[in-house]
Amino acid sequence: MKKAIRIRQAVQLAALCFFLITVLQANYPFNPWIPPELFLWLDPLTALTTMAAERTWIPWFLLSVIVLVSPIIVGRGFCGWFCPLGTLIDISDRIIAPRKSRSGRRFRHWKTILLVLFIFSSIFSFQIVWLMDPLVLLWRTFGSVIFPLITFLFNGSFDLMLDAGLRSDFLFDFYDTVALKVLPLESTWVNGASIVAAMFVLVLGLSFFSKRFWCRNLCPLGALLGLLSKFSPFQRIVNSDTCNDCGLCNRGCKMGAIEDDFVTTEKSECIFCLNCSKVCKPGATSYKYYSPTSMLSPVDLTRRSFFSSSAAGIVVAGSTNLLHDTESRPDHFIRPPGARKEEAFLDRCIRCNECVRICATTGRCLQPVNFEAGFAAFWTPYADFSVGYCEFNCNLCGEICPTSAIETLPLKWKQVRVMGLAIIDEKSCIPFEKSENCIVCEEHCPTPNKAIVFEKRPGEAKDTGLQNGDEDNVLLLPKVNKRYCIGCGICETKCPVEGVSAIRIVREGEVRKDYRRFNYV
Amino acid sequence: MRRRKFIKVSGAAAGGFVLGFPLLKTYAQTGQSDLVLIRNGSPAQMIRKSIELLGGMSRFVNSGQTVVLKPNMSWDYGPEYATNTNPEAAAEVVKLCLEAGAKKVLSFDNSCQEARRCYISSGLEKAMSDAGASVRFIRDKLFEEVEIPGASKLKKWEFYVEALEADVLISMPVLKHHSLSKVSLGLKNMMGLIGGKRGMLHFSFGQKIADINRVLKPQLTIIDAVRILKRNGPSGGNLNDVEQKNTIIAGIDPVLVDAWGVKLFGLEPDKLGWLTHADRAGIGTMNTAENIPLEYSYI
Repeated sequence: MKKAIRIRQAVQLAALCFFLITVLQANYPFNPWIPPELFLWLDPLTALTTMAAERTWIPWFLLSVIVLVSPIIVGRGFCGWFCPLGTLIDISDRIIAPRKSRSGRRFRHWKTILLVLFIFSSIFSFQIVWLMDPLVLLWRTFGSVIFPLITFLFNGSFDLMLDAGLRSDFLFDFYDTVALKVLPLESTWVNGASIVAAMFVLVLGLSFFSKRFWCRNLCPLGALLGLLSKFSPFQRIVNSDTCNDCGLCNRGCKMGAIEDDFVTTEKSECIFCLNCSKVCKPGATSYKYYSPTSMLSPVDLTRRSFFSSSAAGIVVAGSTNLLHDTESRPDHFIRPPGARKEEAFLDRCIRCNECVRICATTGRCLQPVNFEAGFAAFWTPYADFSVGYCEFNCNLCGEICPTSAIETLPLKWKQVRVMGLAIIDEKSCIPFEKSENCIVCEEHCPTPNKAIVFEKRPGEAKDTGLQNGDEDNVLLLPKVNKRYCIGCGICETKCPVEGVSAIRIVREGEVRKDYRRFNYV
Repeated sequence: MRRRKFIKVSGAAAGGFVLGFPLLKTYAQTGQSDLVLIRNGSPAQMIRKSIELLGGMSRFVNSGQTVVLKPNMSWDYGPEYATNTNPEAAAEVVKLCLEAGAKKVLSFDNSCQEARRCYISSGLEKAMSDAGASVRFIRDKLFEEVEIPGASKLKKWEFYVEALEADVLISMPVLKHHSLSKVSLGLKNMMGLIGGKRGMLHFSFGQKIADINRVLKPQLTIIDAVRILKRNGPSGGNLNDVEQKNTIIAGIDPVLVDAWGVKLFGLEPDKLGWLTHADRAGIGTMNTAENIPLEYSYI
């Protein structure tokens, strides 16, 4: 059985690496060999809640059926063998978990309570499962905390070497290869990354109380798979004739799934880590297919807590839907190109930050919002043009969105999709204020027919150095042509005015569609 | 229009021949010219011919030297948009440098859009790397503040160290429109090797471009006019603004080469302040009447 445990560990590490590769592939020269959304598509809880909240059908979520039916074959094997967050928790268990496992069954109905709450709130059209769904949580953490950190450290160490005068060709070639293929040139710090990081540290830190504290007590996906595992035919069988009642399995079980008689297993908790067979001296433990109804236990949820949690879900959904005014967003709050109508967008967006991550490798404008746009919009992406801008030839945020909250627009469509409108503040714009030519907004404007044009004022410019006589000095005053402006924001980003740019994008005229009939991802 | 164009071209060719005769004579005597204009070949063909007529790359590059090749690699568009330098032409220059024995050929541009997009979309990263160059990304750490001696407006500015340290600097701009300077060419191309807030240079632009070129002095300037951007420069993005010209202008005097580029664009050099200022600053001469290029056409 030791060999089987080694295999399990190998599978876990492979799945974790696989996950890291999917995150790493959300990068500008975008030609992935595994879709970066894969792990999110495999997640049945995200699939069910998103589709329920938006009352729609998202084809790629069909993949989640694999995980959804897996309990029939392997119980909660997904948690023990595949879940990358589970693997990370296993690692942190080794470091900080107490040696003696406490039975820790007091809290394990919490996860079911949370699951009921999440499901009911999504049925009532506000999905909030992204807060705690393990795969979404992990994607968010890696995309907006860990990879920016890695980029920062990589670029920073390269800069340190440059400071130290190390400028060998090898170093440059190495850096350029990595920069071209793997990591972005600059690390973008994500809004609210500290909250995401804190939550991740908390999830791993819970191991301090008992092994796999998160998976036992809090994980809503674990709760869903646990409920389905109650009828699993695959189960741990103890031969009571050979069992010597040593109790090592009970004390060693990281999920606290083994009852005090050492024979009965709580099927909704067992993740088939196989550790109990390792400690079983007489070799009484085995894993077999058996009658699905054997060891069937009641659902770990009182009628009272079911009603209260479902009521809580309905209240959460109802109050956010009633209190949140989707049109109350600030004027400078720009959604990514192809974002659906605000209501549909909020229902679909699972806050995985995939778009934020991939945008950080090109135009660097997308950021998760905190509470500026209301509670219901928490952590949804918006374009912050003070840091970056929307690249004209890029549609990757829509390409990568796992739930199609941002539609996959063909590049040609995206290039005419209006995100907002540029407005020039004549009080701070250099040519208006100082009569000096600037043209930076116009020269960066990417639309084929320039959305920024000049009003030419001959003789009004201060020394341009461009004409021979002062009378020729033409002052070029920028004006926005509403017809062509798509609100990509490069003018706002590049504007040389200190502090707040003299040209800013407002939400006016933004195009938000929702083709319910074509729910491609 | 075709006939008119024919008459124009043939007239220009005849005029060029007559006026260029003295130059041709010097070419016959020394085997090299200082300014050449090649037409109607493939990009690689024209580059090879132009360097040959200039006396071979060994005139500029000695073996073991480090060459910095500065193309326009600043916008996220493919070569057909004529806003970045033609990749085939740039790759040919890299090959010629390496054939002449250069230790390495470096290439970079302080791009206006995200650097990786520009390097990849323009096709220049791949073409030049395949030809043997090291195409590098700009690192902010490598900008160094330099005092500009004799500057009229820009007393000091940040320049890219790698460019300052190069043994040979080759400027290789694409001929394109620019909304402030009317035309963007070799002198303006040097703005891709400086740092700081470049938007602030647009005031007293002419003098400041000249000042930058007091520090960065390319030994060889090659104008890529295979395709030219006629309007909406420097960023472009509209194929209707692009015209196929199939021309290369190359020479050792950056101001003179630019002046001929301006003429090819259809403007008068002495109407453009940045050229006049560069001429006055002694960076080169803009006198196109006395300095006629040696012409060669493939048709």
